[in-house]
Amino acid sequence: MSQISAEVSRDLSLKSCELTEGVKKLRKAYFKAAPEICIERAKFVTKFSIENGLFERERITILDKARMYRKVLENRVSVVRHSAGYKYTRDGLKPFDIVDTSPFAGSTTSKFKGVPLYPEFFALNLWPELWTISKRNSNPYHIHSREVEVLNLDIFPHWMEKNILELTRKRASREDQKKIKLVQHLVFFLTSKPECISHTIPDFSKVLEFGLQGIIDEAEKNKDGKSSSTIEFYTAIQEVLKGIIVYSRNLAKEAERLAGLETEGNLKEQLLAIAETYRRVPEFPAQNFREGLTTIWICWTAIHLENPNIGLSLGRLDQILYALYQKDINNGNLDIQKAVDLLCHFWLKIGDHVPAIPEAAEQLFGGTGSNQAITIGGVDRNGTNAVNDLTYIMLRATELMKLRDPNLNARYYQVINSKDYLKRLCEANIVTGATPALHNDKAVIKALEAKNETPKQARDYGIIGCVEPGSNGRFYGHSAAILLNLTSALELSMFNGTHRHTGERQIGPETGDPSTFNTFGEFWNAFETQTRWLIEQSTALNNLFGKTHQCFYPTPILSAFFEGPMQNGKDLIEGGAAINASGATIIGLADVADSLSAIQRVVFREGADPREKRVAFADLIGALERNFEGDTNDKALRLRLSKSEKTPKYGNEDPMANQNVCRIVELLDEAFDMINNYRGGKYRVGYWTMTSHAGFGRLMGALPNGRKASENFSSGITPVSGVTPDLVKTLGSVAFLPPECFSNGVALNLKFNPIDGDDQKMLDNLVAYVESYFGDGGMEIQFNVISHDKFIEAVNNPEDYPDLLVRVSGYTAYFKDLTREMQKEIIDRTEYRLSTGRASY
Amino acid sequence: MLRKWLNANSMLRTELSGVATDKFLEFLLYGMDSAFWLLKGYKQNIKNFSGRYVFTTQNNRVAASAVFKDGDMVVHEKALNQWDVKVTFKNAQALRDFLFSGDQDIVDSLLKNEVEVDGNLNYIYKFGFMARDLEHRLGIV
Repeated sequence: MSQISAEVSRDLSLKSCELTEGVKKLRKAYFKAAPEICIERAKFVTKFSIENGLFERERITILDKARMYRKVLENRVSVVRHSAGYKYTRDGLKPFDIVDTSPFAGSTTSKFKGVPLYPEFFALNLWPELWTISKRNSNPYHIHSREVEVLNLDIFPHWMEKNILELTRKRASREDQKKIKLVQHLVFFLTSKPECISHTIPDFSKVLEFGLQGIIDEAEKNKDGKSSSTIEFYTAIQEVLKGIIVYSRNLAKEAERLAGLETEGNLKEQLLAIAETYRRVPEFPAQNFREGLTTIWICWTAIHLENPNIGLSLGRLDQILYALYQKDINNGNLDIQKAVDLLCHFWLKIGDHVPAIPEAAEQLFGGTGSNQAITIGGVDRNGTNAVNDLTYIMLRATELMKLRDPNLNARYYQVINSKDYLKRLCEANIVTGATPALHNDKAVIKALEAKNETPKQARDYGIIGCVEPGSNGRFYGHSAAILLNLTSALELSMFNGTHRHTGERQIGPETGDPSTFNTFGEFWNAFETQTRWLIEQSTALNNLFGKTHQCFYPTPILSAFFEGPMQNGKDLIEGGAAINASGATIIGLADVADSLSAIQRVVFREGADPREKRVAFADLIGALERNFEGDTNDKALRLRLSKSEKTPKYGNEDPMANQNVCRIVELLDEAFDMINNYRGGKYRVGYWTMTSHAGFGRLMGALPNGRKASENFSSGITPVSGVTPDLVKTLGSVAFLPPECFSNGVALNLKFNPIDGDDQKMLDNLVAYVESYFGDGGMEIQFNVISHDKFIEAVNNPEDYPDLLVRVSGYTAYFKDLTREMQKEIIDRTEYRLSTGRASY
Repeated sequence: MLRKWLNANSMLRTELSGVATDKFLEFLLYGMDSAFWLLKGYKQNIKNFSGRYVFTTQNNRVAASAVFKDGDMVVHEKALNQWDVKVTFKNAQALRDFLFSGDQDIVDSLLKNEVEVDGNLNYIYKFGFMARDLEHRLGIV
C-alpha cells in the first residue's frame, strides 16, 4: 500500500507549506545568536565526581554513572521558554531578546544556542582562551566572567588528570606512549576517543511504543535470576530513565507556572499544552505526532548529557514517526502544514547546541556543527519502498529552515523508490544549494552485508554524523574513531620511514631508499608496509583509549536506547550492542592515488610515452623538497605531473589510475578488517574528510601528483580538483570502485553552477547524472549548487550570507564559518555545468 | 618584591607588544611569580595546585622551570628533571606565540614544529590561562 497520501502526491514539493510567524521569528533569532558556553552540565558532573570520589577507584561502575546522570537530570534548569541570546555587533557580543513560542520545551544546555562542556573528555583545551573566546576571530562564543571564574577555579582543575587522554597515558606502556606521541605530531593520524565516542544512532522505536516506564519495567523483569553485575546494569538503566522522567515533569511544572503568569490567551494555551504533553511523555507511550517528537527530543537531550555532542544521529525519523503521523492525519488532528511547522520547530531544537572547538582547532578543522544526521527514504527492513508522506514533509522543513544541523541524508533505491522522489531530492538540493546528501541503497546495503550484517539489518541503515551508514539503533560503531592521513603513508615510503614534518627521526619502518628500487612493485610494497604500520599504530591506540572508556565511562543512557544491551544485560561500551565496530576515515585518497600513478608512469615508465623522459626518483624528491619552485625543470616537471594528458589521474576513467585507487581501497579495507576492536567488533573504512583535508593539507609538503606544499587535499572520495574536465568520466571512475570496501561511508563532493537558464533542464540533467552514477554502483553523492560568483561575494561580505549552506565533505556547514583555506577549497573545486557536464572552472 | 614586579611587569609588556627576546620566559615567570603576591585575586589560580613545568629551547640556550606547590610558585633558571609537562620551543617568539597569540600564530607554531609538548597538555592549558589572566589583569588584552 502506498504511503504517499493524495494530498502529498499532488505536489511532492509541498510548496503551499510555509514557515509560520512563530518559527520565522525563532529562525531569525537562531541565525542572529552567537553560541554561548554553558557550564551547567560540567558543574553538576564535577560536583558529583568530587563528592563521591569517583576517580579514586580503579573502575567507575555503570551504577555510579547512572546515579550521577540521574542527579543532573533531576536538577537541571527547566527551560521552557528562552528569552535572550547574544548577537554579533561591531562592539562584540551583545544581548538581545527572543520571543520563543516553540511547542518543545527543554534544551540541550541552559542557553538558547549553547556550547555544552564535557571536561571529562576535551573541554580543558578551551581553558587558555576563556578570557578571549568571546572576541576571537573564528566563531566566538559568549561566556560570562563569573562562568570563567567557576571553570577556572572549580571545574577544570578537577579534570586535569582525569580525562580519557591522561587516564590512558598513565596506564600506557613505553610503546604505547610512542603511539600517543604520533598523534601529537598531528600529521599521521588522529584518534577521537579522547574527545568522544558518540557517533551512533539510538533506537527510539521502543520508547515511542512503550514509554520510558515500559523500558523500566522491562529492566525489572530482565533482572530475574541474573548475576549481580547484570542486575547492576538493569538498575543503572532504571536510574537514568527515572531521571529523564523527572526532567520532563519539571518542564511540565515550569510550563504550568509560566501559564499561570501569562495573560495572553493563546500563549497561555500553548504553555498548558506543553505541560500536558510533558506530563505524559516520554514516561508513557506517545499517542500522537507531537508527543512522538517530544519523546525523541527529551531523550535526545538526555543522551547528550552523557555523550558529547559530536556525530550523534537521529536515524530514520520518517520511518519511526510515520505511524503516529498517520494516526493524527486519519483522526483529523493534524494536517500537512501543521506537521511541517512542528518539524521546523523540532529542527531548531536539534540545532540548539554546537560543539566546543578551541581556537587552534578552528583554524585547522573549523566550521563544524554537531553533525546530527537524519535519514529519510530508501527501503524498509523487508526491502519494500519506505518513502512516505513524512519523507516529503521533512524535505520541505529542511528547505524552509536551511539549517546546518540536522544534517539531512536521503536514501534512494533505484526502481523501488520512484524517479519522482529522486527528482524531488535533486530539487531540494537546488533550492538549499547543499542538502540532502544522496545515498545509493543498493551499494550501501552491499557494503554492510559484506561486513556480515543480515539483509534486514543492512536495509535498515541510517546515516551517522557525516555520511557513515549504520544499522538503525543496533550498530555501535564510533565511525570517526580514526582519521588516517594516507599521504603520510606515502611520505614515509618516499623517505624510508621518515617524514619531512618530523625531520630526521625514524617514524615508520625502514622500507628502503626508493631511488634504489627497480620496479613500481617495490615502491608499492614500501607504501603497503607503511600503510599497514600506520593502521596498526592507530588501531592499537584506539583500542587503548577504548579500554579507558570501559573503565571510567560506562554509558547507561545510550544503552537504554539500543538493541542489544537491554537483551543481554551488557553496557554498550562493553560490547553490548547487536553490531559492534570502529570506524576509520581516510584523508588524501585521490592525492595518494594520483601520486602513485605519477611515480609509476614518470619514474618507472609503466605505460609511458617513449618520447617522455624518465625522471629519476632522486630528482622527483629534489623537486618536491623545493616545492617545485627551483629552476624551470621543476616547473616543467610539475606541469607534467599535474596534467591528466601526461600522467594518469583518478576521475578520468584511466585504467592505471583506476587500478591504483582500487588497490589502495582494497588494501585499506583488508588491513583494517583484520583487526579486532576493544568491543569485539571489526574496523570499517570510509572516505569522508569533513574539513580535515584542508587541515592535514596545511601540514604536508609537495606531492608527486603536482600538489604543492600546504595546499588542500582532495575531499572524501572525490578526484583532485581541476584534472577531471568530464563529469561523466568522473562519476564513472568513482562508481567503478568496489562498494564492499566502503562500509564506513564515502563522500563524493561535486559542485554545480546553477546558472544555466533552464531550471527544468538543470533538474532533469541532475537527476540523470545521479541515476547513471547510482546505476553504475556509486555509493554517495553530495552537491553544492551555488555559483562561483556567489561564493566570492560571500567571502567578501559574510554578514550578507548568514545561512549560505555548503557541503564540506560529509556534513553541511555555513560557508561564513569555514576557514579561508576551506572556503578556498570549496571555491577551487571543479565546477560542472549541468547543461553540458563539462567543467567550467 | 614591588621593584621586581614593576620591572618584570614593564619588561613583560614590552616583550608582549614587540619582538620577544630570550628574556621573555624569564620576565613571564618572574612576572607571574610577583603577580601572585601583588595582584588581588590572581593567587586564586594556584590555590591547591601542584604542577612542575619545564620550558626549554631545542638547544638548551634558554631553560627555566616553574614549580607550583602549596599556593606558591618557585622559578628555577634551569630545566628540572621531573615535570608534568615539558615545552620545547625553537625560540622565544615561538613560545610567546604559543602561549599568548590568537588565531594563526598557534597553528603556525605547531605547523612549523616550533613548539613540542611532552606530558600532560592540561598543565599547558592551565598555564596558558594563567598567562592570559595576567594579561587580562594588566589590561593588555
